[in-house]
Amino acid sequence: MTGDVVIRTRDLTMSYGNKRVLDGINLEIHRGEVVALLGANGAGKTTSIEILEGLRSPTSGSVEVLGVDPLHASVEHRAKIGVVLQSWRDHARWRVREFLHHFFVLHAPFRPEGGWEVDELLERVGLADKARSRILSLSGGQRRRLDVAVGLIGKPELLFLDEPTVGFDPHARREFHELMHELADVRETTILLTTHDLAEAERLADRILILHAGRIAADGSADALAREVAGTTEVRWRIGQDRFVHATDAATRFVRELLTREPDVEDLEIRRTTLEDTYLTMVAQHSAAAAEEAAR
Amino acid sequence: MMPIRMSAVRAGALRGAIEFRNSLQKPADLLYYLIGAVSFSAALWYFRDDIVPQLGVSTSAFIFPSAIALMTLFVATYGLATLVSTEREDGTLLRLAILPAGTFTYAWGQTVRTLLELAFTFGLFTILASILVPELWIRGAVGALTAIGFLLLGILACLPLGFIVGSIFSNPRSVGGWGFLVLGGIVWVSGIFVPLAAMPLWAQIIAQILPLYWLGLGLRSALLPEGFASIEIGESWRTIETIGMLSLWAVVGAVLAPLLLQRIARKESFASLATRREKAMQRV
Repeated sequence: MTGDVVIRTRDLTMSYGNKRVLDGINLEIHRGEVVALLGANGAGKTTSIEILEGLRSPTSGSVEVLGVDPLHASVEHRAKIGVVLQSWRDHARWRVREFLHHFFVLHAPFRPEGGWEVDELLERVGLADKARSRILSLSGGQRRRLDVAVGLIGKPELLFLDEPTVGFDPHARREFHELMHELADVRETTILLTTHDLAEAERLADRILILHAGRIAADGSADALAREVAGTTEVRWRIGQDRFVHATDAATRFVRELLTREPDVEDLEIRRTTLEDTYLTMVAQHSAAAAEEAAR
Repeated sequence: MMPIRMSAVRAGALRGAIEFRNSLQKPADLLYYLIGAVSFSAALWYFRDDIVPQLGVSTSAFIFPSAIALMTLFVATYGLATLVSTEREDGTLLRLAILPAGTFTYAWGQTVRTLLELAFTFGLFTILASILVPELWIRGAVGALTAIGFLLLGILACLPLGFIVGSIFSNPRSVGGWGFLVLGGIVWVSGIFVPLAAMPLWAQIIAQILPLYWLGLGLRSALLPEGFASIEIGESWRTIETIGMLSLWAVVGAVLAPLLLQRIARKESFASLATRREKAMQRV
């Protein structure tokens, strides 16, 4: 099953007037993958997701989601896709359970085996005790969890999440991550999420896509991306009054040799390159390359 | 397709019921119903002794059908249009539009909610009028049934118009504000406060294009004594014309409303929602 391609784009381009938002995106996402789309504001994240959801028609290039063009997708096709909206104030006076139940009824004709029951899902996103509360009384994090539940109620094969954990407290965030892992591992749900939170992308995603200026600047696991940036680990130490810093790919070997060579090493610190370092380096490299290309 | 329709019909009906219940649990909405009922009762009470000399019936008998017609336009067109543009701005429509049969569910839910609100308002007004106006049911059961017939036709004419206006104008504050002024103008030339025959020609033309005048005329023809027709244009109830004009509005609306609503639902996107959210936040 892991070989199934769930999302495929070829030379996807999107322009608004003269402004090119997406510039030749080629992408394949397989069943069960959790992919995080990273990028600064205006890098084309939301536009990409909207095209994949069939809300927008690309300027050129082709898109296939679960084997069909999302723009001309049937209702049965739509039922296989879950979308987690960044809600605002819609349905404010509805009660939590009846709100989720409403979407349950809409999905009922398409309900696959093993789909969620309303109460089961409320329990899972930690809102069981809020079932009778009005949505306007929920905190920001609770409201987002309800949005996630709405996205999951049809037991989607593919789930889109736009900035899913904005407003979550650390506890809610951990629970949310567990839920995402369960979806991906146990239920083979393919997940595409956008986020600004690099630590979250690293924790959740098998694969990270960095969008920069409408192109894919980097594509790979957090580890693989870090390895592409020279010197993935930083070693710091002190000998007497002198401080030293060294960047290396093989920290263990380096430290072993260092300790053999220098018996007086103190304050030894080993710091792995974070996704944030990688992200900033890659975006910088990509910008430099693009500028060079433009100059030529 | 059948089970999809069925579940959407069910979800929409439930949706309408929940929305109406939510409205009844909201203090501002309750206050609105209360003010409506009190001013309606006050008008009936004030005109109870104002007997029309040639006909021997009080003016308050004239107020009831006119108020019902006015409420139909107010709830099914103005109120619905304001809600549709508000729920387009706040993302309600988008949330449903991305789901199977979602736009249909939304429209059907709004229809059910509007019908429930109309039924509630009509029930309230009818009870009050039955108590305050002794000659209300002077035309008996036949009159009442004819009135119900005209009312259903009037709802069919006004309700799609609500969807159309709400779809065309995307800013809920303009629909609420400017719409109210337009509504005031329409009511002024509707023959409710001043008999249309006494209005200038241009006002008569506008009134006879729009559905409100015809709905009021139809209801009056069903509930008032025959002699009242003498104050109407052509000194007649013009029943054929009434049915014709209301049906025309209903048919045009039934064709246009789904097209327009589907068009705006398709055009919804997260980006446009985010932009409107920012704009609305700035206004607050």
